[in-house]
Parts: sequence; C-alpha cells; structure tokens
Amino acid sequence: MSQGQTGAEQRLVTPGMAVGPSTGKRAGSGIIATEDTFIATQLGWLRELNNTVSIDPINAAYMPRSGDLVVGIVAEVRNNLWFMNINGSFQGLLPMSLAPWKVEFGAARQHMDVGDVVLARVQEVDECHNVVLTMKGVGLRRLNQGTVESIPVQHIDRVRGANNERLQRLRDATDCRIMVGENGRVWIDGSADGVSLARHALHAVSKEAHSKDMDEILNEIENKKKGDA
Amino acid sequence: MGGYGDVQLLRDDGTRLDGRKVDEMRPVTIEAGVLPAADGSAMITHGLNVAVAAVYGPMEAHPRKIQRQDRAVIDVRYNMAPFSTSDRIRPGFNRRSREISKVTADALESVVLVERYPRSKIRVEIEILAAEAGTRCVGITAAAVALADAGIPMRDMIVGVASGKVEDTVVLDLDKAEDNYGQADLPVGILPNTGEIAFLQMDGDLSPDEYNLAMEYNFKAAKEIHEIMVDALQRRYQGGEA
Amino acid sequence: MVELVPALLRQELARLAEDDQRLDGRGRWESREVSLETDCLYNAEGSAKVVIGGTVVYAGVKFELRTPWPDRPTQGSLMCGAELRPVAGRKYEPGPPSPQSIELGRVVDRGIRESGCIDMESLCIVPGEKVWGVMIDIHVLSDQGNIFDACGLAAIAALRTAVVPAERFDVGEDHKLQVNGTPIMASFTRVGGRFVLDASEQEELGGDERIHITLGDEGHLHSLQKGLKGVFTPAEFAEIFDVAQQRCVELRNLVSKVEGN
Repeated sequence: MSQGQTGAEQRLVTPGMAVGPSTGKRAGSGIIATEDTFIATQLGWLRELNNTVSIDPINAAYMPRSGDLVVGIVAEVRNNLWFMNINGSFQGLLPMSLAPWKVEFGAARQHMDVGDVVLARVQEVDECHNVVLTMKGVGLRRLNQGTVESIPVQHIDRVRGANNERLQRLRDATDCRIMVGENGRVWIDGSADGVSLARHALHAVSKEAHSKDMDEILNEIENKKKGDA
Repeated sequence: MGGYGDVQLLRDDGTRLDGRKVDEMRPVTIEAGVLPAADGSAMITHGLNVAVAAVYGPMEAHPRKIQRQDRAVIDVRYNMAPFSTSDRIRPGFNRRSREISKVTADALESVVLVERYPRSKIRVEIEILAAEAGTRCVGITAAAVALADAGIPMRDMIVGVASGKVEDTVVLDLDKAEDNYGQADLPVGILPNTGEIAFLQMDGDLSPDEYNLAMEYNFKAAKEIHEIMVDALQRRYQGGEA
Repeated sequence: MVELVPALLRQELARLAEDDQRLDGRGRWESREVSLETDCLYNAEGSAKVVIGGTVVYAGVKFELRTPWPDRPTQGSLMCGAELRPVAGRKYEPGPPSPQSIELGRVVDRGIRESGCIDMESLCIVPGEKVWGVMIDIHVLSDQGNIFDACGLAAIAALRTAVVPAERFDVGEDHKLQVNGTPIMASFTRVGGRFVLDASEQEELGGDERIHITLGDEGHLHSLQKGLKGVFTPAEFAEIFDVAQQRCVELRNLVSKVEGN
C-alpha cells in the first residue's frame, strides 16, 4: 500500500468502473474480471504491479489474518477465556490455554479485566471469521502503561515505511516506544511531550494521507528536536 | 397517484411549472464523507430534497437470528425527519418507511459483494431531512455513495431515479406537484456501468410505450447522476492534493 | 450498546490533565470550531445546521394549529424533542427513544422554555379556540462529542429564523416568529479529574459526569442539568460558571451574525 506517495498521476477509481482490458493480466484485490474487462469494486487508487491490477482502498475495515500483531481491548471475561475487541467485525477469543499466565478455571478476571489493553497475535481465523488470539510469544503482554491511538488500517504501511524505517524515525524523534498493530491501533509509551508529538504525527497521517507526506511531519519533529537541543 | 383534475402541470409551450423540459431533471449536488462519526457517508440535494446516508460496518450481525452463514446482511433504515415534510411527521417507523427500507436493502444487496462478509451486517442509515418528491431514489443514490465512501466492495454503484406521467405526457424526475397530481410514477435503481436494474417500483397508469420512454429518461438521468456521484468521491480524496 | 472504555484511555486522560493538556491539543476552556447555518431545509418553517468538530446536528421547526388547554385559553405551546437515531454513531441502536435522547430533548426544551424567549400569549390566534403549537425537532446525524451544545444552538437558531406559516393554515399572513432572547447552552465534562469545555468523543468515552448550563441574554441561569455518574463541588461549579458566561456570549454573537446575513 503506497497510495499517495507517487503523487497525482495515480487514478482514483470508484466501484463498477471499467479499468482496462483483462487480457494477459491478473486481477488483484479490489478487482473483478467480466469477459475481457477489469472492473473496480472499491473506491481507491488503481495500481498495476507485476502484471497484476489491484486497488489500494481509501477506506477499509480490518480483516484479521493469522499471524497479525494486534492491540486488543478486553470486552468480556468468562471462566476460561476472554473476548477481545480487535477493531474488526468480530471479537477475537483468547482461551486461557493461550494466555501468558497459568490460569485457574474461573480466575480469568484476576489476570485481565474488561477494558484492559493487550498486545496479542492472531493465532487463527476460520472461514466463518472466528478469530482465535494468542498471547504466547515474545513481547505479547498486557499493556499497563502508555496510550493507544487509532489510524486507518490502509495507512499502516505509510506509517511504517519501507523496512519500518519511518516508524523507527518516529520512535527516535519522539523517544517513545511505539507498536503498530495490524488492526490500526498504535500503542505509544514515553514522556508526555514525546507521546504528544507521536500522537500529532499519527493524526496528521490519518488526516492528510493524500496531501502531505509523513516524511515532512517527521522532518518537522526532528528539526524541532534539534532546535530545542 | 392522486387525482388529476384542475391542476395544470404543463405550460402551453410544453415546459413544466418550474421551467424544466420534460426530459430534464432537477439539479443534483452530492458531497461524500459529511458525517465524521460514520465509516462512510454522503449528503445529497436533489431539487429541494435533502438527504444523508451513513454506513457502519461490516460488523457482527446480531441478534444471531439475522446472521447468514454465507454472506452479510444489509440493514437499511430509511427515515423521514419530523420536519422533512409539510405536515410534521411523528417520529418512528411506519409501514411506508419499512417497505422502502426493505426494498432498498434488497437493491443494495444486489450490488454489494455481500459474500465477502459472512455472518456480518452492514448498517445503512438513510435520513430524509427535506422531502420534495422522489425521496426513496435520493436515498438510494446517497446510500451508494456512502457505501463506496466506507470502502465496501460493490460490483457497481446504484443510482436512484424516477420518471412519471403528467397530463398524459411522460416526464423525468417528478417534483412535488407532479407527484401529487400526476398519473404515474416509476422509480428505479440503475447500475450505471452494467445497465442493470436493482430497484423497481411503479404506481399509476402507463402504456407500454410510455413505460419505455420513462425508462429511457431514467437511464439518461442515471448517467448524469452517476457522474456527479463519481465526482463527489473523487473530490473528497483528490481535492486536497497539492 | 455499551461502549468499551479502554483502561489506558482513562489513564492517559488523567496524565494529560496533570499537565493541563488535552488529547487533541486544545486548552481546557477551548472549543472546537463551531459553524452555524440557518434556513437550510425546505419544508421546515425554521431550520439550522450546527457542526462542532465532527458533531453534526440539524434542527427543524414546524407549526400546528391546536385548541388551547382549557386552563390556559390564550396560550400556545412549545415542544422540543431530540432524536438520537442509529445514523449518529456506531453505539446508537434502533428502537423507541432512549433515556439519553429524552434527556437531551428535555434539557434543550427547558433552556428555551424557561428563558421565556417565546411568549406563549403571542401564539394565540382565537382565545379558547385556536393557538399555535410550535414544535422543534432536533436530529443528531453525527456524534463526535458534545451533542448537547450543538442541539441547544441548533434549536434556538432554528426558532429565531422561523416563519409562522399562517397563510397555509388560512389564519392571516405569514410572519416571523417572535423570539425575545437567545438562550445558549454550555456543557462541561469531567475528563481526567477536571472539567473541560466542549468534550470530544474520546474525552466523553474516558470521562465522567457532565454539566449543562443554559444562560439567557442577561447571563441568568435558565436550565441546569448534571448527567452521568459523578459528583462535583460548589467551587468547581463556580469555575465553570464563569467560563459558561463567556462561551454563551460567543455563541450568541454567532447566532446574531448568522441572522444578520
């Protein structure tokens, strides 16, 4: 997802729009083929890469995939499991067997209660959209401090940049620990000023995704930091 | 359709009371993304009609009994604000709004790729703020733009338009007087790219030839409105580009 | 639907409050931008649209002819209702009016009614037989926080621009509805332990009780309401009351400016 980065020559298409002949090309995400023509099914930027035509959607709901790192919020606690809001259509289920602690039946609430925020991974998604989460794994834990911001899922790659380079710059410039969940939730922890700057940068990305590059915002923060030093 | 007694709806020169030609629609403006709380939204003005549509979801369908294992359901609520008509409407659902909600949902389910979201629901809220004939069509158009704005995949957009008959003449896009005193009304939902029809109602009296002409007008108008819909979506996301 | 409040949100709001900061960078008594438009709906005899940040609200005024109450033969009536329909946000569900929407409508109603800006006697056409019933309906289309102020502002602006449709009812000539005053509501929410003006959606989600103050042209109190769980001290009220005075003057000026155009 690199929309907006190459500028105005990209074409913004709407559902139903014919976007070119299908001969010799593959239909990627957001594209369906009818006879000899590709049809767009989503509002977004048209992209052609390696002979595959696809759409980078402008708005998209989070669709969990196995292996995704997500920031979840405990929505419901049962005797032996937790239901988590993961910003998707369906809640994710964390069984006590996949919790990072040894949990006695009936004691789930002692470890995590409604409203608690966690870093978890999607263990599996079945064809009926049931999501099972795990908290067994390096770094997966309950988040006791810091704050959570939301960004549109289609902007996650912009925030990260190639090889997480932008994300690292944001971490360095703000002196914050930052984790970007695939579900559009970003956990930030650091000094009050650092968190404010990071929050400001993330808001700006969400708002100005197609007019202002995140690099500019990073430059501003970095220059300000240099100026203050 | 009401009686067509002594009200004159066409002038001697063949134009309509508001100056339009028989195959001319009222002016239409659309803006996408007007309701920040929604996942997608649109506002439309069509003549003196004003309507908004908001889309929420896809989300888990509940109560469970409405869930479909193989696809999403589209939960449409068409509602007229109390101040949208000449006489105030008491808040709440009535038979008319229930029927319109149902056939609008049927139409939208024909274009949305509902099989992508099993057990889910997509909420579509259509609110008529000012009504001047043709609100169900205006609602469908707004809903389609709001769905696209929300990033919901669809195989085509859908455009709501209506033609009808006044004084034995087929006219495009009835206004309030024409709706009240005309002889027929033919509202449809047209898929602008495929040319298919996903929404159809009619009441009154039309000959087969009149039906064909009314449909021809509807297709012509759908093309014009579709351009305005596309422009609204592109303006929202390209407008800010430096 | 009960909204989920992340524990970290309350924690962060408390931390920001200590530094006298807010989630969106505003000052404690700073409002988001408020925009007001009137006469925007055909069929409503008076109408207004208010946008505060991401909150969008419409109000429309309708009139009906009715028989006066026997004990008040020369008085018309005023009714103000608010609808919080599912269009307004993910958390709103269809069904009969919720306690929240009834509270909202009644708080706005009291502010307008008790300010006396509508002289009920002026709504009389034939004593004992015919009076005007004025109905203000408020429609919340997008809730991103502080719908109370948006609804209060939309309601009074719609009233102040309303035209009595006497011709349509065959009881004389159309004329402007007589409105003597501009009652304005200012709302405060406890966020991170202290009150702020014009709370955002996130602040309301992670905040506590709210206080609504409606003031008339002379700065007199006409309606007060404390909502949601929580308690406050007289000193806290004194502080927000001063802010409310300023806020109400600002919004009243906005109404006059829009009316003047």
